[in-house]
Amino acid sequence: MAGDDRLLQRTRRHFFRDCGVGLGKAALASMFASSMPAAAPRGPHFPAKAKSVIFLFMAGGPSQFELFDFKPDLERYDGKVCPQEFLEGKRFAFMETFTQEPPRLLGPTRKFQRYGESGRYVSELLPHTARVVDDLAFVTTIRTDNFNHAPAKIFMNTGAIRFGRPSMGSWVTYGIGSEAKDLPGFVVLKSGPRGPRGGTLNWGSGFLPTSYQGVPFQSGGDPILNLSAPDRFAGTPQRQLLETVQDLNRARLAATGDPEIETRINAYEMAYRMQTAGPELIDFSKESPKTLEMYGAEPGSSSFANNCLLARRLVERGVRFVQLYHTDWDHHGGPVTNLQQGLDDVCREIDRPTMALIRDLKQRGLLDSTLVVWGGEFGRTPMGERRETIGRNHHIEAFTMWFAGAGIQAGQTIGETDEFGFFPVKDKVHVHDVQATILHLLGLDHTKLTFRFQGRDFRLTDVHGELIQGLLA
Amino acid sequence: MRTRVLLTLAVLATPVAAQDFAPDAIAFYEDQVKPVLRRNCVACHNAKNRTSGFSLASREHVLEGGNRGPGFSPEAPASSVLLKAVQHESDLKMPPTGKLKDADLAVLTRWVEMGLPWPKTEVSADFGKPKHWAFQPVRQPEPPGSGHAIDAFILKKLRENGIQPSPEADRATLLRRVSFDLTGLPPTSAEVDAFLKDPSQDAYEKAVDRMLASPQYGERWARHWLDLARYADSNGYNLDHEREIWKYRDWVIEAYNRDMPFDRFVIEQIAGDLLPEPTEDRLVATGFHRNTLLNLEGGIDFEQYRVDAVADRVDTTGAVFLGLTLGCARCHDHKYDPISQREYYQLYAFFNNIDELSGEWGEAGRRRAHEPLLFFGTSEEKAKKAAIRAQLAALEAELNEYKKALDPNMAEWEDGLTADEKAKLRPDIQFILSIPRGERNEIMTTALGGVFYKTDPGYQQRQEAIRAVSKLEPKLTSTMIMRELPEPRPAFIHLGGDFLRPGIGVRPDVPRALPALARQDRAPNRLDLAQWLVDPANPLTARVTVNRVWQRLFGRGLVDTENDFGTQGSKPTHPELLDWLAAEFAGDWSQKKLIRRIVTSAAYKQSSKARPELSDRDPYNELIARQSRLRLEAEIVRDAALAASGLLHLAVGGKSVFPPQPKGASKLGQVQRDIVVSDGPDKFRRGMYTHFWRSAPDPNLMVFDAPDTTTTCTRRSRSNTPLQALTLLNDEGYFEMAGALAARMTREVPEGGQARLRHGFRLCMAREPEAEEVARLERFFKQQLDAAPEDESRAWLQVARVFLNLDEFITRE
Repeated sequence: MAGDDRLLQRTRRHFFRDCGVGLGKAALASMFASSMPAAAPRGPHFPAKAKSVIFLFMAGGPSQFELFDFKPDLERYDGKVCPQEFLEGKRFAFMETFTQEPPRLLGPTRKFQRYGESGRYVSELLPHTARVVDDLAFVTTIRTDNFNHAPAKIFMNTGAIRFGRPSMGSWVTYGIGSEAKDLPGFVVLKSGPRGPRGGTLNWGSGFLPTSYQGVPFQSGGDPILNLSAPDRFAGTPQRQLLETVQDLNRARLAATGDPEIETRINAYEMAYRMQTAGPELIDFSKESPKTLEMYGAEPGSSSFANNCLLARRLVERGVRFVQLYHTDWDHHGGPVTNLQQGLDDVCREIDRPTMALIRDLKQRGLLDSTLVVWGGEFGRTPMGERRETIGRNHHIEAFTMWFAGAGIQAGQTIGETDEFGFFPVKDKVHVHDVQATILHLLGLDHTKLTFRFQGRDFRLTDVHGELIQGLLA
Repeated sequence: MRTRVLLTLAVLATPVAAQDFAPDAIAFYEDQVKPVLRRNCVACHNAKNRTSGFSLASREHVLEGGNRGPGFSPEAPASSVLLKAVQHESDLKMPPTGKLKDADLAVLTRWVEMGLPWPKTEVSADFGKPKHWAFQPVRQPEPPGSGHAIDAFILKKLRENGIQPSPEADRATLLRRVSFDLTGLPPTSAEVDAFLKDPSQDAYEKAVDRMLASPQYGERWARHWLDLARYADSNGYNLDHEREIWKYRDWVIEAYNRDMPFDRFVIEQIAGDLLPEPTEDRLVATGFHRNTLLNLEGGIDFEQYRVDAVADRVDTTGAVFLGLTLGCARCHDHKYDPISQREYYQLYAFFNNIDELSGEWGEAGRRRAHEPLLFFGTSEEKAKKAAIRAQLAALEAELNEYKKALDPNMAEWEDGLTADEKAKLRPDIQFILSIPRGERNEIMTTALGGVFYKTDPGYQQRQEAIRAVSKLEPKLTSTMIMRELPEPRPAFIHLGGDFLRPGIGVRPDVPRALPALARQDRAPNRLDLAQWLVDPANPLTARVTVNRVWQRLFGRGLVDTENDFGTQGSKPTHPELLDWLAAEFAGDWSQKKLIRRIVTSAAYKQSSKARPELSDRDPYNELIARQSRLRLEAEIVRDAALAASGLLHLAVGGKSVFPPQPKGASKLGQVQRDIVVSDGPDKFRRGMYTHFWRSAPDPNLMVFDAPDTTTTCTRRSRSNTPLQALTLLNDEGYFEMAGALAARMTREVPEGGQARLRHGFRLCMAREPEAEEVARLERFFKQQLDAAPEDESRAWLQVARVFLNLDEFITRE
């Protein structure tokens, strides 16, 4: 006992006396024994509107024509061959279905109605979302660069079609860190029949240190991989073990003077706190039945509803960037993925929880400091796609996303598309503009948030990106 | 003779000289045109920069043109690229900062209409600046002193700075360090004991030679190379199918173990298929550039992703061998280094001719997406495979004929369906039936046919026969290789990096800033490129390679930016040492000798203890006044635990394996895979054999910074995160290893107590614990035992877990 105390004392004394001075510099030197700039968060460039982001990623590419971009004129042209001038020089996915028979325009397959004070059209598929429509700002003229799922998803997330660049959540936590003390700063949640295309690279940290990569949480079982010991070792005490590890690590710190060990000691402390914070996070027992009902959440399941509730709880705990993936919106007209039953199902899965998330954030006073983003990697064509059933093809010229919270101008629609909804006719917005705007709301200038790699300063928006001024209050 | 040459030149020069313009036309150029060009154009389009390949330095240059072809068309001056560009009438808008003033525009228009009058050909050759250091030939500096050459260079610089080197690390630490560096495994207790007891002068050298001769050396250094090769066991993108290319991985291990000379190592990987004798081994080696991603998503244009793969081969070649960031020049001329966009596509042309999945293959290509492949097996097996493939093709053709014969009966079948029968069909089939026959498209008819045919017994029998025959096909191991097309694909500049906007055509060639290719009487190919990479005149390959080896052994290279030896990269801290190492290396191309040379230096053997007194003067340890503590790489963290626990199964090579993974980890990609954990000894293979799914890799590797394998990785990051702590604390695999370690400690020290504790510590840290460390561990053991006195093995398990969680355990000091 006495021996141990001596060890501890010696360690601490050594630490402060021998290593204290110059430790900061040494720490930097060792962590970045390379040309990498300091990887510690650098803080915002200007005061932020949002503290956190919840990105509801509708994986597969939802059809704007069935949800938000009401085109009564398209109804009139239903079944007509799409004018050639629209198709000239354009490339589509599944070109072969478009070359087998000339693509024909497809009128909206759902009824629309005006909602809220803003009187915005929303389709019958989203009756709940329609109830919070005044809290949302729509942009109907988003353009992206690639019409295939995995590259387009990677593009939305990383600003590059090429795989391996840092994702938005990584850039954000690299830029401003996180306020969560015992949870990761960038959390990913998934629901739906399959995983998002592109997999872990969607939330990868690319050339940024891996400590900024998104951490996938599961809403059933252990929220984080390896958060608790395997079942057959359940209940093995941890605290004494941790203290022993920490003491021995401190002794090694004293012996070697390597500040990396200090970082490791902190990492173990945080891991320990996560083991408590994680289960507490997914424990819905303190949520009122009313809240659970509003979301449609059922403890233990891995539904979009549960993930929306988790997202609120994560944001409450200071997590910076929460991304929810919900599959599958790829409604080509296959046997199942079609604009009939397939679309009905996926809309039902997201509609109520989405509404609940907005309401819940609002009633808890969190909406002002949280930016909620809704959208997919692209939209769908005004032309129908006839396969086994009816669907629409991928469309990258103009698709719809919506934004809420963070003090943005809600209750409006930015951008206008032509009568077919094919091209923007007003306020073109590019994916890089979306990214620039999200960073801006977090207090980050997208042109200044850079990282030097392979001799070049990289950023999320490459050399592009304009703020979507109409969104900003 | 001499006269004849002059005469020939004069004849050749005639067409240019013949362009005599009237004096007032020349005056118009001098007075009106030249100022406009000077103000607006020549900052970029001069003979040196040639932005987008285009120079305005002479009339000749304009006629020759840039990436989009000639700048001026004598036949149709009004549609000249030059004029279109300044008129902002095409997608090319010059100057990019804004359209010229009307008056200036009028001057240029008039000039072009006059036929581009120019006084005479003059090319300003502005190469005033000395060549960038890395493009200069490698020198052969004499070491500045006697003894180990490396130390002479290092000590000279330390002395100049008035700094003493660190003392040699204690012997146990040194053995553990070099063991991890050379084999990726900790030394065994027996090895430690033998080394500590060996009084001979060359005890260390003997240990080094033993390690270099062990098969684990090849594994360790092959894994470094596989980072560069972006090796993985799946295709990437969304579907991320499994691919078979582990034979390539094994080829690299074998090459390291046999110490294949590096020049051959490079040539066989880049162009083994083009060598006069493309043996099976050499074909396997070409897997290096087949490790590119492969997109098989529905509805894509295969050509787009082939182009991306070819570009990745250029970028990888640049980073791995030349230390150049070529990728910048894919869309535009390199901003900093002398690599033009044209030169990028000249390199691209070398890799553009692989007979692989492309736009031309079309949808049918999906079924043979991994080709070209090399199959392994006896000639009988290969013959049987071919025969069965032919038989299957014939059966399928017959089936198609049979289906066609059935088609006329389909309408009758459809009309005969009762309402009940219809209701039992899939919803999409019911939908198709609701559409009048004449309005259905091919997909719908095919889907309906799929249901209809199955009702026919003849069809069923044929399907059954195909299934039966395909079961007979021998499953032969294969590996992805390179094979050149008989006719090269035409290569173009991709304007703005977009393959749908072709610029001028290009031939394979290397950048002008580097030595030229050896001249051939035919178009150069990949083999010429490969030989050029390892040509003694190439100033980059040897420097880049020795620098990366140095980086693996010290934590950072002599050139810190190991993948950028261009003008934006950092300068070498020890330029003479770098060149000396490069020259020695290029003398015999032996990687083993290079590594041995470095690890036997006093610089390498120094203690890694921090030196706070130098934290101001040399915060990055650029002067190498000490070694560095480095966290082990992802695979090695696992290997170390397997070795300490005694579970490690040291089989070299073979198919990739599936150690246990945290639940749910394999389901992070689009395809929700269930991993079947390998059983038996395969569960305990080295980390480098863990199957790598690109879209859902083993999280225990990723958490310790294994590369994502989408692009080449020349240096891994070394993060230090809570998720690493959770892995070591809670992962199923680490519990198992801790259990085995505890059992081993118990088995090997049956008397228990402090001796057992010390033994466990030694197994993990390869050193004796300090008295204070023993005391702390004893206290912990007692706590654990007190909590559950009936279960001593649990207390030992907990002790073993402490060992596996120590920073020192996962660090090479």
